[in-house]
Amino acid sequence: MNQAVISDFFRQIIDQPVNNLVDQAQEQGKKAIAYTCSYVPQPLLSLDGVFPIRVRAPGVVGTPMADTYLSSVICSYTRSVLELALEWAFDSLDGWVFAASCDHLRRLYDNLDYLNKPAFNHMIDMPHRGGAAAEKWLTEEYKSLGAALAESFGVDASPQALSRSIEEHNAYLSVMREISEMRKQDNPPVTGAMFQTLLAASTSAPKDMVMDELKALLARLREGKEGKPYRARVLLAGSHCDDPGYIDVIEKTGGLVVAERTCTGSIPALAPIPENGAPYETLAERALANISCPRMMESFQARVDEILEAVEEYRADGVVLQTMKFCDTWGVESSPMVQELRKAGVPILKLEREYTMSSEGQLQTRIQAFLESMGK
Amino acid sequence: MRLQDLKKADASWKDKAVYARYRVESIGSLARLLRHGPGKMREIFSWDWLRTLAGASNLLDMAVYTRTGRYREASAYALAEVIGGIGDLIDSICASPDRVIIHEDLVPSEIFRGMGLAPFMAEVIGIAVPLVKADWAEKYIDIAENEGTPPDTCSLPKCTMGVALDGQFPKSAAIVTSNMPCDGGMASYTILERELKSPCFRLDIPYNFYNDRAIDYFVSELKRMIAWLEEHTPGRMDWDRLKEVCIERNKAMEHELEIWELIRQKPAPMAGEAIWLAQLIHMVATPGSPRATRTMKNILRRTKKIMENGGGALPEERYRAVLWNPPTLVFPELFVWAEQQYGVALLADMLTYHRHPFIDVSSPDSMLRSLAQIIVEGPMARHTRGPAENFFDDLFYLYEYFSLDMIWMAGHIGCKNTMALNGMFRERCREREIPLFIMNYDLSDTRVVSPVDMKKQAEAFMETVMQAEPLL
Repeated sequence: MNQAVISDFFRQIIDQPVNNLVDQAQEQGKKAIAYTCSYVPQPLLSLDGVFPIRVRAPGVVGTPMADTYLSSVICSYTRSVLELALEWAFDSLDGWVFAASCDHLRRLYDNLDYLNKPAFNHMIDMPHRGGAAAEKWLTEEYKSLGAALAESFGVDASPQALSRSIEEHNAYLSVMREISEMRKQDNPPVTGAMFQTLLAASTSAPKDMVMDELKALLARLREGKEGKPYRARVLLAGSHCDDPGYIDVIEKTGGLVVAERTCTGSIPALAPIPENGAPYETLAERALANISCPRMMESFQARVDEILEAVEEYRADGVVLQTMKFCDTWGVESSPMVQELRKAGVPILKLEREYTMSSEGQLQTRIQAFLESMGK
Repeated sequence: MRLQDLKKADASWKDKAVYARYRVESIGSLARLLRHGPGKMREIFSWDWLRTLAGASNLLDMAVYTRTGRYREASAYALAEVIGGIGDLIDSICASPDRVIIHEDLVPSEIFRGMGLAPFMAEVIGIAVPLVKADWAEKYIDIAENEGTPPDTCSLPKCTMGVALDGQFPKSAAIVTSNMPCDGGMASYTILERELKSPCFRLDIPYNFYNDRAIDYFVSELKRMIAWLEEHTPGRMDWDRLKEVCIERNKAMEHELEIWELIRQKPAPMAGEAIWLAQLIHMVATPGSPRATRTMKNILRRTKKIMENGGGALPEERYRAVLWNPPTLVFPELFVWAEQQYGVALLADMLTYHRHPFIDVSSPDSMLRSLAQIIVEGPMARHTRGPAENFFDDLFYLYEYFSLDMIWMAGHIGCKNTMALNGMFRERCREREIPLFIMNYDLSDTRVVSPVDMKKQAEAFMETVMQAEPLL
């Protein structure tokens, strides 16, 4: 695999908070809608006339202004996003959609609303459990978002339009899934850092502008060149992690990240969306079935089981469980999760991290020791 | 700092008798647990928290040390009833060990009583025991942290988890919790469920709740909970019994609202623990109990008496304040000291102030609907988790309603929800020219900020921002 092929196009996209492709799409009359959480459904923000941008904060080196408002005990992803927002880095975006997922994102919404006053700032009231009542509730929430998009941006938010959007999104998922499936091979042609670059880039830009490149990349990958040797196969689990650089450090040390069970990773995001049902209901059902975030309060054991399944499916030798500092849900849950995974005989390394890559040497030492502890 | 820094009141023989009376009553309300026999006593007194709580009558010192007359009597009475209320909780779990429900602080415990169950609010340990011994929670915070809980998580759920990890909870038929009041509190029940080995039910409370849709959703959650409890515990819903509990709650709330109305007057005829601590325990931890009604009624009666005699509760009320955010559990003497040092009357706090409806007892559905509204609009739920406007609107309303002079914000370092509002908070207070004191502290851990440092912060604020002259 020629890493430069990925870098040239996709790295440029992820190097900036708002990339050139967003500007180009806006020049064509489309509206860019920012979102910060995987419970905001991409197909709904991909209705004709709008497109979703999963907000990242590349290049942030400190968060002094954001700390003044959010304090320094809030997760550094939210602080980094607010810092860039206060530097007007997201000023060109046309709106924001949040999900009431956790304390941190709720307060980011409040502070952003107070400080930047986005013209469109919508909050999805996200249940903390599944079941029929929650599905009905969330369906109404998604319909309400559809109506708000229609009113503010003139988009067609009808079920038919949403079904079309889901079909298009499935086409994207299909390409990404095929690339992801290659990571199950003995010597995958794509590394974890490369795959994270693709994921981050394709959620940070209008999908229609990256699809050709993704398809071309897939065609090259199908040619079957093998990747570099590695010492151990690693499953990455835990918090939001949209930085390929973090995965790159793991891989430079000899661990190959074969899948990410995170809200920004491959599992469960790449699963296809059913196309034969009522689209709003389908999106709600799918979102509530996604229990990868511990904010889904009834699903601890299911999260453990899904990690164990992924370990088996991707033949991972061990799990790196990384949690964002100050995230209470992951912070509290990671302790029993480590116990459960160890009980199941899975080697696990728990790491606490900040959003921005730091202490690379320390991370390398921890990974090195972990690989050695597995006899790799 | 504790009592030694306070000036002892010039107490009359009558004041001394008041102290003695309520001290004896406080001891008696815990001593009644002896009726459950030596076996049960051995079991419950193996819990460190209960042994520490046995010294709760020392709290009376706080109420009486600097106070005289009717205010001393009201404060002592309120504290004795607080201790009695906690005694009731322990008594009921001893009396009905097979019916114990461990529950989180933001679920409607009235329903458990209606089902003939014995509710025990898990967080009451971490709330009540540090009031008696300031550094008590630290051992349990360390236990939770040593088990892997991050140091930045709120110390109250950490303390609760530590107590569970140390095996100091009563056996329970079930656990009931919710997604409230914060991520840390919600997540802590993953640990409690594992440690207590009881089936656990989780209520889902919407983020936006000022609408019928949210209430409908939460009523359906309550119905689901009742069905689950009937399946997993010996409890059976008795709607008549629930009605009695709800009527009792309504009566207590009538008195509570009347107290609030009366303390709007300047000088306020009641302040301090009789307002914040009594309501925290009786209206939040044990709502709907006859003791709660009796306490509120008697505090109201004493408030009226002080009014009739002219003047206010404090000998000299110079300032009126609200305490926002969870109260300073490790330093409950803060406002006793502020009263004495600067004439600050504490008239309200975030956990006791609410906008609850009276419960409509006309039918089972109407009761559930009112209870749903009480929970979704409850303190913490409304302030620390809901949209920021809930937090600010209530506070600025209170500022006007009680003609306050300043806002004291207990800036609990572990409360990420409110820490993330402080920037906005400062600016909004500045716009309104409201003096705002944000005090750095930790709810349950004196190692983060000691009571002495908390007092120093308060002194600095009072003497620089308020330009207050110390009374002493």
